[in-house]
Order: sequence, then C-alpha cells, then structure tokens
Amino acid sequence: MNASKFLVAAAVMSMSATTFAAGAHGDGHGSSSSGEPGKASEAGRTITVEMYDNYYEPESIEVTPGETVRFMVKNEGNLVHEFNIGTPEMHEGHQKEMMMMVEHGVIQGGKLNHDMMNMDMGGGKSMKHDDPNSVLLEPGQSKEVVWKFSEKSDIEFACNVPGHYQAGMYGDVNFK
Amino acid sequence: MKSRLVSGLLGLLMPALVLAGEYNLTVDRVDIDTGDFVKKEGIGYNGKSPGPVMRFKEGEDVTINVTNNLDEMTSIHWHGLILPFDQDGVPGISFPGIKPGETFTYQFPIQQAGTYWFHSHSGFQEPDGAYGAIVIEPKKREPFRYDREYVVQLTDKHPHSGDRIMRNLKMMPDYYNREQQTVGEFFSDASKNGLMNTVRDRMAWGDMRMMKADVEDLHGFTGLINGKGPDQNWTGLFEPGERIRLRFINSSAMTYFDIRIPGLDMTVVQADGNNVQPVNVDEFRIGVAETYDVIVRPKDEQAYTIFAESMGRSGYARATLAPEEGMEAAVPQLREAARLTMADMGGMGGMDHGSMAGMDHGDMDMSDSNDMSGMDHSSMEGMDQSDMSKMDHSNMKGMDHSNMDGMDHGSMAMGKGGPSDPFYAKGSGLIPTAANGGKFLSYADLKAQDPLYEDREPTREIELRLTGNMERYIWSINGVKYEDADPIRLQYGERVRFKFVNETMMTHPMHLHGMWSILDVGAGQWNPIKHTVSVQPGTTLYMETEVDEPGQWAFHCHLSYHAAAGMFRKVIVEGGPESTQAKADVKTEKGGDA
Repeated sequence: MNASKFLVAAAVMSMSATTFAAGAHGDGHGSSSSGEPGKASEAGRTITVEMYDNYYEPESIEVTPGETVRFMVKNEGNLVHEFNIGTPEMHEGHQKEMMMMVEHGVIQGGKLNHDMMNMDMGGGKSMKHDDPNSVLLEPGQSKEVVWKFSEKSDIEFACNVPGHYQAGMYGDVNFK
Repeated sequence: MKSRLVSGLLGLLMPALVLAGEYNLTVDRVDIDTGDFVKKEGIGYNGKSPGPVMRFKEGEDVTINVTNNLDEMTSIHWHGLILPFDQDGVPGISFPGIKPGETFTYQFPIQQAGTYWFHSHSGFQEPDGAYGAIVIEPKKREPFRYDREYVVQLTDKHPHSGDRIMRNLKMMPDYYNREQQTVGEFFSDASKNGLMNTVRDRMAWGDMRMMKADVEDLHGFTGLINGKGPDQNWTGLFEPGERIRLRFINSSAMTYFDIRIPGLDMTVVQADGNNVQPVNVDEFRIGVAETYDVIVRPKDEQAYTIFAESMGRSGYARATLAPEEGMEAAVPQLREAARLTMADMGGMGGMDHGSMAGMDHGDMDMSDSNDMSGMDHSSMEGMDQSDMSKMDHSNMKGMDHSNMDGMDHGSMAMGKGGPSDPFYAKGSGLIPTAANGGKFLSYADLKAQDPLYEDREPTREIELRLTGNMERYIWSINGVKYEDADPIRLQYGERVRFKFVNETMMTHPMHLHGMWSILDVGAGQWNPIKHTVSVQPGTTLYMETEVDEPGQWAFHCHLSYHAAAGMFRKVIVEGGPESTQAKADVKTEKGGDA
C-alpha cells in the first residue's frame, strides 16, 4: 500500500470509530482496508445490487484484489436503506452515527430529511452521509458506487440503518 | 403430508400445488416438574407440558385431530391465527368444546407466518399446563437472516391448580401477594410525608379497592422456559458468530416478564407474529400472551444467560445460550420490586382520563395533593376495608424492615427526569428501565415492516373502560362482567377504533380473537398489528380493527383469572358472506364459557 492510497483509505474511514480496522475478526494480522473510491472508467464490470426490506439481492459477490467495480444500487423496498462497503468493525462504528441520524429525524422510516442532513452539527460536521464507500437511498432511488477493492480482507457490504445490519442486511465480499 | 391440485375457478386460472398437512394432538394428564416442585395432575399435549412446537407453512391447509384424554371438557385455541371462527376453539363462542374421550378435527388454511402459540380455552387448563408453540414458515423469504432458531416459551407455573388459585383470589384477593405494604411502612411514610398525607394516600388507594403492591396478584410461581425451571436451565446451543432467532412466547397465566441476555444486544424483528422494523434493544417487557422474535449474535465462545424477571420481581425464569451443553453464565439478582405510584391511579373517578393530556399526573407529589381533591373520598369504608385490613394481616414477621429508607416511594418523583414511556402513565412506578442503563423496548418503537392494511379513517370509535373491584376480585369492562354483558356488535367491512381506558391499577393484556389489533403508536400507516395489546394502569390506549372476519369471537384480558372473573366480551361480526352468518346463528345457541 503506497502513501496516497493510505491517506484516501483513512479519509474514507474517518466517519467510523475504528479508523484503521484490522483484518478478519480483528486478529491483527497486518493491515487491510476495504479499498478506495474507484474511477468509473476503470470499472471492468457493473454489479446491480437491489435493496429490499431488509436484505440485499445478491447477498454475496466475488471480486479479485485490485478490481474496480461499478455498483448500481437500487432501493426496491419501502424503507430507507444504505449500501456501504467496509469491514465489520467499520460498519459497527458507522452504526452509531446512523443511530444519531435516526434520533435527529434524518432517517424517518421511508424518508430522508435532507434539510436535517445538511444542518451544521457544529465543528463543521453534518449528517450529509456523502462518503464515497456508501449511498443512503430512499425507496425508489438508485445511485452508483464505484469502488476499487484492495487486497484480500474481511469486507461486507451492509446497511447500517439501526437494526438492519443486526437483522441480517449485509452481503459478503468474497475474494477470488 | 400430501399435496393436491386446487379445483374451481381459482384453480383453473392459477393452477398451483396446495400444501396440506395432518397433525395429531392428545390432551393428557401429565406431571410437571419445575425443579422447585412437581405438579401432579397438570395438563399437557402428547404427554408433555408444554406441548410440541407445531410447525406449519404459510399457504398450507392443516387438519389437526385433537383427542381429549381428560375426564373433563377441553378445547384448543390457536392464539393469533386468522381462521374461520368455528375453528377458533372457544367453548360457547366458536364451538361447544371437546368432550372427554372425543376427537375433534380442526381444519383451516394457514394464511400468515410467524411465531404464535396454542392453548386450552377451557377453565384453567392453560395455567395447569395446556399450551404449546406454533411456528409458521413464510411463503416468501424472511426479511432478516439467522443461522438457527429456538422457541423460548415462558410460563409462570404455580404449585396450586388454577381452580384453587381462583377460589383463593375470590375469597381473599391478596392471598398470593407477598409484597404488601405493612404497618411499618405506614409509619415510615407518615414520618416522611406527614400523617395526614399518608392517611390520605392510603385512603385513596383503599378507594380504588387496590393495594400499592398490586403489580402482580399471583406470587409464588416458578418461571419456566420451555418447561424448565431456573435450576433445570434450558440450554440452546450455538456456534460463535452465528445469528440466532429467539422466538419468545409468554404463555403465563398472570405474569409479565422483563427479558435480557447480559452481554448480548437483541434486535427485535417481530411482535405477535408480524414483522416489525428491526429495533436494537438491551431489554424488553413481554406481556401475557404476546410474542417477540429477536435476533442475537453471540460472538464469543461463552455462555449467556437469558434472564426473565417478572414485572413485579416476585420470580424469574432463566435459560442459557451456550456453545456446549452444561456451560452456564452468572444469573443476575432480582431487582427491587416496582411499586405503583399515584400516577398509576390516573383512571380514578373525578380525574380526566379522556385524553392523553389527562394522564399527566406525573408531577404529583405526596405533600401536595391538589389532584387528590378531585377524587371521591365519600366512601370512607374504603379505608377500613382495604388499608386497615392490610395493616392487620401484615406479614410483619416475615418482613425485613431494615431497608425501610430504601423503600421506593422515591418513584413518586419519577415524573421529573425519571424514565419515560408514552405507553405508561407519567410518573408510573411500572415504567421499565434496562438493567444496564441501555435501551428498553417501548410499544412506541414498534413499526410494521410491511403494513398489512391501508391506513384509513376509522368508521367509529368504541370506548372500553377496563374496570375492577380488587377487593371482591371482580374484573369487568365498562363496569359489567361477562355474564351480565351484551355482546359487542361490529359490522363486517368497518374499521373500528377501540379506546381502552384502564381505570384499574393493573396492566391488562387485551386479546381480540380472529382479527388483527392495529396498535396506535402514532406511526399512521406504519402502526404495527398485534393480537394482544397491553394497557397500562392510568392510561388510555387506542387500537383499530379492520372488521374482515365474519362470525363471533372472544375479546378479553389474557390474565387467566381476570378473564375468568369477567373481563371478557363476546364480539359478533354482523354481515359478511352469508354462509358464515348462518353458522354463527347455530353457535350462538349455547352459552358462553371463558
């Protein structure tokens, strides 16, 4: 991993509690990350991910280390859902932020309160939810995520709307 | 299990394989060993209590042959299942009952999925052990994932038979109440709050024919999980990292449980068989007859205790999740008993309980009883009958008075900064808090995952006041007990808004048979549907029902001894398909039996 890559990855993860998550089950064998934002032009293929209440289709995908994938994410459900690429530790950290978004009325069942999302939370922070490793969609919306996977690591795509991940709204990223 | 082709128009348009299953249940005398005592002459199914877990599939047509091996009448009610009313199993309302030696065959289509249960609806056979679980697999995939599942069915097994308990309660309503206030407490209150205020407080309680400690009126039980007492420790196995679905069912006669699994977060995904938007909680309260499905994910190679304390802290049930049989984790101590507060008396005459705003007695304070003046103290004998008698037969010798100061009259001040839950009276002594200070589930958190009904304006409102006279152990609706009451008549196709006003000091789990109870949690279209709704003391709760099932149905408090004492109604749905109307007329001939 070169320096610039490291910086980008760290920035991506700055929203989560564990900024530099170790690999599978935190056993601390070397460093790994979920990857980095990719360029659409480098994406070799497109994977369509449909979000339902509360599960994904498909529930697992296969990638090769270093591959850039363009995800077409569609919310086919009646509730707000997220598509977020990260390690289980990153998801756990992000869930606390998502809880805050629910408590502040940003996420209201099937709706997003955009005014609230842009509100200044102090210290230049907001609840915009604009990180490149994720999209947060209302029912019927679809958006793209272009992601370059790095080396083999423990990565899941997950919905961190409170309760959704725990109920099983996640998918495995398997490395070939 | 066999399958056959559907005939008829629907079949021609949409040929499909229909699942059909045949099941047999025998109703038997059984011994029930709780670890604390062995109850002889209990009642079970297929030789055991609890009975088997009945596993059905959504879309299946089931045939269930029930053979009565008792020397008395029996029945089975399929709690929460949507079915033709003559299959609902309530003697005197849906059918005459099942005679000794007879086999009755139930036949109905399974039109739903989720966790439910079944139990006898005859006499006190259910508290005597006649209950089991129902698990229905959905047609479509579940909106959640798990690697394994367990039914966790709770009950409050008492060494006395149901008949004996009812006799004792009728004779002396506080017969089973070990938490009564004592002379000592009276004087300690008097020194703290002034003699007159204390007398006034006790008079008010006497006027209610209630006692402050009436959180539970049946103490002395052993909590069972899947038929096992705390020492017998039912254990569910798991591999670390797995998601486990726990299907909690409260089959108690009288007991609410507060459930937690120290060390594990729980995600509630279903309530009363219907999927809800997942909620992460640390603890939840399960009312009598309710079900909650939760998903837990133990990551460590260790045992976890499932701890279910009764709401009044008079007993508990305990089980274990563990990677291996025989492992166990610490069993927490029972927390201090909750005490009812003045707020829980909110329903008393003279007080405004017509609106939610009227429930604001939270700031009521012992030394400033402005609100008390609104109460009717005309019946002084209320004081003699209940407060004085309470002092007389106080359990002085058995009581430890060393922690008098610790006695929780501080809960009176709970209205300010204390715990809150919109489904409890403000300042109520019953408002639950999580043992670890975390999230305790509220009805307000329950939102339908996939609403079954379109939201629409109700066509009318029916007010049901939950009423009682504790001193005589009479429980009633609108002041009238079942045997003296006219049925509630609903029209097929209407949407009725029920307004429950709990004027008693106890929590009542109200169960309408045959049709869903759409609980108003203020979420409109997302209001959850349930089969049993708990109405807390001093509160008003609304639920709506789409009247979409013809026939006649039972509607009652699911506390066994309250239902038997008269907190029960027959509901008749008028109109609807002609054939069912004719059947209803036939069934009406025979009298009712709770």
